[in-house]
Order: sequence, then C-alpha cells, then structure tokens
Amino acid sequence: MSRRRVVVTGLGMISSLGNTVAETWQGIVNGKSGIATISHFDASAFTTQFSASVRNLVVDDYFPSKEARKMDPFIQYGMVAGIQAIRDSGLEITDANAGRVGVSIGSGIGGIGTIEEGSATLEHKGPRRISPFFVPSAIINMISGNLSIMYGLRGPNIAITTACTTGTHSIGFAARMIQHGDADVMVAGGAEMATTPLGLGGFAAARALSTRNDNPQAASRPWDKDRDGFVLGDGAGVLVLEEYEHAKKRGAKIYAELIGFGMSGDAYHMTSPPEDGSGAAASMRNAILDAAIPLELINYINAHGTSTQAGDKAECRAVKSVMGSAVGQVAVSSTKSMIGHLLGAAGAVEAIFSVLAIRDQVAPPTINLDNPEDGCDINLVPHTAQERKIEAVLSNSFGFGGTNGSLIFRKV
Amino acid sequence: MSTTNPTRIVITGMGIASPLGCGVQHVWQQLLAGKSGLRRLDDEIVGELQVKVGGIVPSLAEDPVGGLNPDEIVSPKDQRKMDRFILFALIAADEAIKQAQWVPETEEQRERTATIIASGVGGFPAIAEAVRTMDARGARKLSPFTIPSFLVNLAAGHVSINYGFKGPLGAPVTACAAGVQAIGDAARLIRSGEADVAICGGAEATVHAVSLGGFAAARALSTDFSDTPTKASRPFDRDRDGFVMGEGAGILVIESLEHALARGAKPIAEIVGYGTSADAYHLTSGPEDGDGAKRAMEQAIKQAGITPGQIQHLNAHATSTPVGDKGELAAVKRVFGSNNSIAVTSTKSATGHLLGAAGGIETIFTALALRDQIIPPTLNLENPDEDAAGVDIVHGEARPATIDYAISNGFGFGGVNASILLKRWV
Repeated sequence: MSRRRVVVTGLGMISSLGNTVAETWQGIVNGKSGIATISHFDASAFTTQFSASVRNLVVDDYFPSKEARKMDPFIQYGMVAGIQAIRDSGLEITDANAGRVGVSIGSGIGGIGTIEEGSATLEHKGPRRISPFFVPSAIINMISGNLSIMYGLRGPNIAITTACTTGTHSIGFAARMIQHGDADVMVAGGAEMATTPLGLGGFAAARALSTRNDNPQAASRPWDKDRDGFVLGDGAGVLVLEEYEHAKKRGAKIYAELIGFGMSGDAYHMTSPPEDGSGAAASMRNAILDAAIPLELINYINAHGTSTQAGDKAECRAVKSVMGSAVGQVAVSSTKSMIGHLLGAAGAVEAIFSVLAIRDQVAPPTINLDNPEDGCDINLVPHTAQERKIEAVLSNSFGFGGTNGSLIFRKV
Repeated sequence: MSTTNPTRIVITGMGIASPLGCGVQHVWQQLLAGKSGLRRLDDEIVGELQVKVGGIVPSLAEDPVGGLNPDEIVSPKDQRKMDRFILFALIAADEAIKQAQWVPETEEQRERTATIIASGVGGFPAIAEAVRTMDARGARKLSPFTIPSFLVNLAAGHVSINYGFKGPLGAPVTACAAGVQAIGDAARLIRSGEADVAICGGAEATVHAVSLGGFAAARALSTDFSDTPTKASRPFDRDRDGFVMGEGAGILVIESLEHALARGAKPIAEIVGYGTSADAYHLTSGPEDGDGAKRAMEQAIKQAGITPGQIQHLNAHATSTPVGDKGELAAVKRVFGSNNSIAVTSTKSATGHLLGAAGGIETIFTALALRDQIIPPTLNLENPDEDAAGVDIVHGEARPATIDYAISNGFGFGGVNASILLKRWV
C-alpha cells in the first residue's frame, strides 16, 4: 500500500526580520540581519549583549491582548504564527473535520521568562502572589493547547521538546501522523523566546554564544574562520501540513510536498557533536531513505549551521559524506547568519525557508562568510542569494543531548 | 509500509522510581498492599505555601529496600550537572534496560534503538535555583551546565549517551499526558520501521516551591489533608479537593515482537492500541462529558481491533480533582456503556500525580496487572462520588481478576488526552 502524501498548504512566521512570512523572507533573500543590541532588559552585565529578537508585535490582530497576559511570549509567538498559517491555508474548521485536524507545536525552552518571574515572586512576595495562570502560561504544550481551543481542533494534540531540533521533530512527527491516518491536517512548528536574563546567562555560561558586542550584525557567521558562537534568536514558525488528496479536493494552494523525515541520536556528548558529524549524517541519510529520491534532486540544504566551531565543522563533514559525488551541485546555507538561532523554533522557520526556496527557486545566503574555514569546499552561498533550479530541499536541525532531525521538501 | 499487518510490539523491560520507592517489583508489592507514598513535606520545601502534602522518592535511610541509590548509576559529580528528573530517568531506564537485557552490540543495533522520554515540566527546580544564583551573584556566576541541567529532552539525551542508543531521540512535553504520548510515539516509530527497540516513558521531579506554588495558584492541588497526608489523594471520593504532586520516573523497553523473540527476550505484555486527542475546550479543565477522553480511548480500542467489552481493567488518569474525575467517569460510561463491567483503579491515590511521568509508571502498573492478574486498589475511596455510580472502582484491597486487555489513560493541561491499550502476554 502506498503511503499517504503530505503537502504544505499554509505558512506563518514571526522573526527578528518581521512579523509575517513575507517580511521575513524578503529580508532573508536580501541578506539582511535582524540582530541588534538587547533593549528589552538591561543586558549590560552579560558577556553577550545582543540577540535577534521580535520587535513591534501587535497581537490584537490575532487574539485579544487580554489573553496575551496569560501567555509567556513564546506562546504568543507560536499562536500568532499558527493563526497566520491557518489563515493562509484557507482551511475551514467544521464539526465534520475538527477531529481530523491536530496540532504539533513545540518549544525548546518554553516559558523560561515566566518561570524566572514566578521564582522571583515566590522569593520576594510569597506564594500567594503567584498568578493562577503561572503554570499554564509557562508550560510548553500550551501553544498546541491554546490553538486547539481557539479553532476547535480536536485531532492529535502534541508538543515535542528536543532542544534545537524541536521544530524539525514537531513537523516530522506531525507528517507521520498524517501518513498513518491519525489526522488529515496537522498544524506544526515551533516557537521560542529565550532571550531572558537566565536564557542569555545560561547559554553564555555554557560558552555557546558569540560575544561580538561591538558588531552584533557580524556576530552570526557560520563556517567563517572568525566565528565565536551562536546568537540567540526569538520567534516562531508554523506550517499547515495536509494530506495531498484532502488538499487537492478543497482546492488548496500547495507550496511543496514533505517527502522525507529522518532522525538520529549522537549518543556522544551532552552539548557537542562528534567531530566526524556521524550523527548528523545518519539523520540526513534516514531522511533521504524515507524520501526515496536520488541525491541529485537535492539542490539546496538549509543547514543547522549555528556559527559554533565544533557544530559547523561536523555538519560540513556530514554533508560531504552524505552527498558524495552530488555535493558539487548542492547549495548549502545557514539562514541563522541573519536571524540567529531560534532554538526550538529554528527547525520550523527553516522548514518554511526551505519551502519558499522551492517556490521562488532561490537559495538564501550565508551572510558574514568572509573567510570560509579550511576544508569546507562546498557552495555555502556567501553573502548573496543564488537563483538556481531547486527540485528538493533538505533542512537540518541538531540539538543539545545529541538529537538530530532532517526534513526533505520537494516541488509539487 | 503496510497497514493491514502492523508490527506487533511488546514490553520487555520496565523500571520505576516513585514515592513508593525504586524498583518495579518493590513498588508493585507496596501498591498491592495498599501502601501510600505520600507524606507531609518538609517546611524547607513548602515554607508558607498552603500545600503541605506530596510524594517524594524515599531515601535509602527511609526505605532500605527501595530507597533512592543514585550513586550506583550516576557519579555524585555528574549528579550536580542534572536536574533531579534526569536522575530519575537514568535510574528507571537502567532497571528497564537490565530487565530487557538489551545491550546493542553492532552499530546498526545502536542506530535502531530509539529513546523517547517525556517530562511535563522538566527542570523547574534547576531554573528556580539558577534564578537565585543570578539574583544573588550575577549572571556570570551561572554554572556552564545550567541549560543542559534543565532542558526537558536531556533525560532522553543522557540515557542515549549512557547506553550508546543512536536511533530517534525525543521528548514529548504534553503536560500530564506526556508519558503516555512518549510510549505511543515510540510504538509508532517501531511500527513505521524507524527503530526496532525503544526506551520510553516519562520522568518528573517538580516537588518544589515554585511549581507547587504555581499549581496551587491554579487551584489544582489538595490542601485539606495537611495533617493526614496519606488521605490527601482520593480519586472518585466525594471529599477530594485536588491532586497531590509526586515525583519519579517510569521507563519501559519496548520492541517489535519479532525482534524480542529473535533475541530470546521475554515479553511482559503487548501494546495493541494507542489513541490521542484534544478537548479543544479549556486550558486547565476537561469538558464534563469527557468527550476528548472518550475519543482517545476509542481510537486506542479501534487500533487494537477489539471491542470495549473485551477490556477488563482501566488504570484511570483520575487525579483526585473534582472536574477531572467527573469527565473521565463520563467518558468511561460512554465508551464502555452504562452496564459496563470494567474494573477501574487510580494508582495516583498511592503515588500522587507524577505529571509527565504518570503515564510511564501507570503503563507499567497496567502491564503488571495483566502479568499477575490482579488489580491494585484505589486508596481513600470512602464515599464514592455520585458520578461514580455504575462504575466498578477497585478499592479496599487489591483484587485478583481475569484480565486479557487493560487500558491506561493520561490527560493534561491544554486539553490533551492519550490512552494506551495493553494485552496480556501468555
């Protein structure tokens, strides 16, 4: 029996480059950076003082701002992107289909800011001052929960947390649910808002962040010799995934088909990958096996490429070993050079960039790539976007704990 | 992929850390004997909180047989780099993996072993401690292990690293349904051919002032039984006033039947059905008619290809909150009929509510009920709620029974429901 096909019929996103898919994508193909000095709290005592944060978001276009008070910013971001994606898909939720529409939106960190505030409230003002909304405004599955309530989506309701692979896994598992017949439509993606004092301080203590405080827009520079860590980014990306016949029947606009999903564990180290990139390679190979397409059809890879020394090197090796002789015709870039690392949302916004790369036949650039590191002799799309024929795109995500995921989209 | 002849999946290993102690056999004996793992919490934890009762994994001094003995599994130095929920996951996983005797020898076997471990809340305590450090001493004094000590997926990460499991790695975080969803996701990975073996379940360790204060503020926790802590968790009883938080982990090793038999592993029970759904109703309470719960159970039953009448036992979600228990009872009546004969129990009466780990330990209890043909009692059911009329709730003492199929429920904040259906292995 051939398996059910999964297509993308709706997109939603907010990022440091804009509060819609269109604004963000325009910034991405033009090589703009969304990174700036932190202004939403006083970061002057931190070793890193910049981030790629969301600006000027007006939630009223999406839900009453009164409701926003019960949601950590990561939930608000996820809701906004989710609502955008559902609106974009044109899907109408009815009594007949509500049980077949599910949600799978995760977060890598969740409501860390809310937990920080709750801890401070308890410490300084006592337990009676904790808000009754504290727990539901902090816990990770509340984007899936809130969105299902808002739209009456009664299908599978899940939330996965696998650090920086969260978005990719959330989309992959959602696709599996459609393939297996558990749902016809899944609203899937990830959201993050971890540029809080503890998020920034914690990643800085792990020495994972760039400290290029004098020039934040040059801080995220995947594969460049002078890279010195990643840049925290905030935002959300959500896709509407739909069974192909279901989408066709209702005349939905189809962006691309999700043809492959693969995963693996490094089983190596808590916060760094093995140097040979074997875990990343296994994840890509599993996705390619799942997609069952020749390597030559993969014309673009949206890399995990976070701008850390060890991670970029390992991924480059993995790409070369997986693509083999086909590596010469693939463009590989890291959009994190522009919007930073959105952790649990990264896989989701990058899946959207992958889909749009297919739609517009353009590979987004890796900015700040002035001196590519030795040995990484592949087309890393330095500085400017490249118009090219793109049949299929592979998108990678790798996370703390040694968790890897890869998605493959193809033109329909 | 064929849908006509799905892969059969069996449980071959189980491990528990819980307020009733560590070790599956020990905990099961305590449970069958009607022991409670709940206690009055130290003032150090609860301070001026109104909530005074919880379930803590006992120390070796408190329980020489089943007390917590982490040094055997994780060095004291490494324990400082991880929140307590990760420690529990490692302890329970070790027991489960030893029972299953799963020691992958080839790279392929390692790559075909998945690790899916849930947590509802994750490292709340580690976050709260880090906030105190930052307040008192500044951000630059944070430990480099701060973030990996509290990330939810690091329970799965540590297990995978310790044993070299290189297959799919994941962590559902769907509040109190997370543990069941981890097992359901893992079963699906095996069915879709992405893994042969999965380590799955849930871990939680959030008996801490910040989370207790938070759940108390949401009016979800029991506060009426501070002086009689073992009476506080009383699912289906008229006087119930909220759940009691517990901590621990329940981890299973599951694998395709073919794989288990080929390597001579002994199945404990078979996983025959899994269903998950959303209420799409309210953030923190389910609908009174239990509609979402009903659909989750029905999907699990449908997947198993059996009828509700073939199921003899339900390990209920039943947290001891008035609204939650009511919805679940309504769902039970709708799925199994008003003239049903299903024997229902809530082991949360003895362990408290382990949130994201609840689904892990309760799936284990359900498998044990099938193995030993006995149903553990619901404690403290003195005056059954009127909604419980027409539902056979096992209470007083454990009840021997003939059980071929048994089902376990997990429901969570956000309106998320999951059910897992097991079959006796004979």
